[in-house]
Amino acid sequence: MNAGKEIVRFEKAGLAYEEAPETLSDISMTLREGEFRFLTGPSGAGKTSLLKMIYLAHKPTRGRFFLFGEDAMEAPREALPALRRRIGVVFQEFRLLDHFTAYENVALPMKVAGVNQNQYREDVSELLNWVGLGDRMDAKPATLSGGEKQRVALARALVSKPDLILADEPTGNVDPAMGERIMKLFVELNKLGAAVIVATHDLHLVQSIGKPVLRIANGKVTRSAGAGGAG
Amino acid sequence: MTQAEETKKRGKSAGDKPARRGLFRRGTAPLLPEAGAAGAPLTAVIAVMSFLAVLAMATLLIVNHAASEWTSALRSEITVQVKGASAEDISNGVEAAMRVLNDTDGVLEATAQSQKDSAALLEPWLGEGNVEAFLTIPAIIEVKASPALRDNLDLLRNRLAAAAPGASLDDHARWHDRLASAARSGQALAFGVFLLVMGAACAISIFAARAGLAANHEIVSVLHLVGATDAFIAAEVQRRFFILGLRGALIGLAAALAALVLAGLAVRAGGGADNFLPDLRLGGWMVLWLVTAPIATCLVTALTARLTVLNTLSKQY
Ligand SMILES: Nc1ncnc2c1ncn2[C@@H]1O[C@H](COP(=O)(O)OP(=O)(O)O)[C@@H](O)[C@H]1O
Ligand SMILES: [Mg+2]
Repeated sequence: MNAGKEIVRFEKAGLAYEEAPETLSDISMTLREGEFRFLTGPSGAGKTSLLKMIYLAHKPTRGRFFLFGEDAMEAPREALPALRRRIGVVFQEFRLLDHFTAYENVALPMKVAGVNQNQYREDVSELLNWVGLGDRMDAKPATLSGGEKQRVALARALVSKPDLILADEPTGNVDPAMGERIMKLFVELNKLGAAVIVATHDLHLVQSIGKPVLRIANGKVTRSAGAGGAG
Repeated sequence: MTQAEETKKRGKSAGDKPARRGLFRRGTAPLLPEAGAAGAPLTAVIAVMSFLAVLAMATLLIVNHAASEWTSALRSEITVQVKGASAEDISNGVEAAMRVLNDTDGVLEATAQSQKDSAALLEPWLGEGNVEAFLTIPAIIEVKASPALRDNLDLLRNRLAAAAPGASLDDHARWHDRLASAARSGQALAFGVFLLVMGAACAISIFAARAGLAANHEIVSVLHLVGATDAFIAAEVQRRFFILGLRGALIGLAAALAALVLAGLAVRAGGGADNFLPDLRLGGWMVLWLVTAPIATCLVTALTARLTVLNTLSKQY
């Protein structure tokens, strides 16, 4: 298991928002190819903040951070889009574009990568069908429920077949059955090779999946259960 | 299979539907919503800029055209003036001067104005029949000169002085120089106005592009997070500004052409002023030149927007 390539590595990284005291301090962790981690911790502990550093929305304010083997803190700005394209993110607040339809939102990463529509049209439709929104493809986010938006966000995160999937409370707005389905999907995608980090405070779900758990508290990450010797 | 075909069709209709909104776009909706680039007000300002740019360009062309007509008319004409103490002196001088002129290469035509003609010109001021009594009017010989002769008048000037002591040669150089420099300053002024208008279009575009980015902050952020490059976002904004700019520029051009045509009609209705006022009629070549003004406005707007976006984004993570 240790043989897998490094996907994410933090060394004594810290994150402070502007003048505020550090939200995260002394983060050291490694995520390798093929690994699946839950990220738990009380509300406000910094789960979202840690994911933000990984998906290159916030630069760590100290320490070192490597992404797909590249030093992400030293990488020139021009190198960032290529790294971001290898990550699929389900944002806690969905972050769908309001003037786009569900279809267009899901297609966005492909369009941004300059892929011809003929090459992703079927994938987008298929994904939307899979999350049960086959009949809402032309709907704007404003007309969708919270759970439907979450599923559109999920489809957008997966459409480019990313090497790393980050999900921030992906089951927060869906019913338990759909929540379980989504978790099973992450497990399947993980089997197909994607590294996965799911931030959640749904401990019941965490237990039912049985994957290693990272716990954030007091600005630090600790491994809490059966990490299988990784990292 | 039928399922796949159905979803394919669905995908297509989802992709085609918004295309109707964006005039120049096919496939999917524009990445930035319409309000983002302050659509209508920006179009209006660009229209005004384009209007002014076309008028500045028209002024440049009209001054240029008029100046070259005036100066070329002046350049081909020189005047020989013959003075004398008496009418007889003068007519002898004229004869001698005409001999010299007719004997000079490059003189295309030399016409001595009769004393009567000269007197007729002065009569309105001095009263009929009084002219000769008061003055011994110098005689005028109008000469059409070839450009070669025009550029080298010294020999002719010397020969005239030798043959007819009362004769002097006026090549209108003073007038020519004055007109040319007046035309040059007119052109410089018009060009300056044109540049100022371009500068203003630039400033407005910077302002609007920044406001657009700020208003669309969330969209830009999401675009970055799904892997968009700055160039991709800048190209999107540039395309948007180009379309708005083109729309505004065409409106401005149409308004300016209408204004010029009206001004041209007004000048022609004025009738007698024909020889004095510049010709406002629009030749085909002139319209072509005028079209460069809105094109410049439009390109300046779009390129400025692109550079503004690239510059602003380069400061983000
Ligand atoms: N953009 C921000 N600016 C300032 N403080 C922030 C920002 N985002 C989060 N925080 C703060 O950082 C802490 C961790 O927040 P977050 O990472 O969202 O926690 P979690 O996802 O675990 O609930 C909180 O105290 C929150 O107030
Ligand atoms: Mg959170």
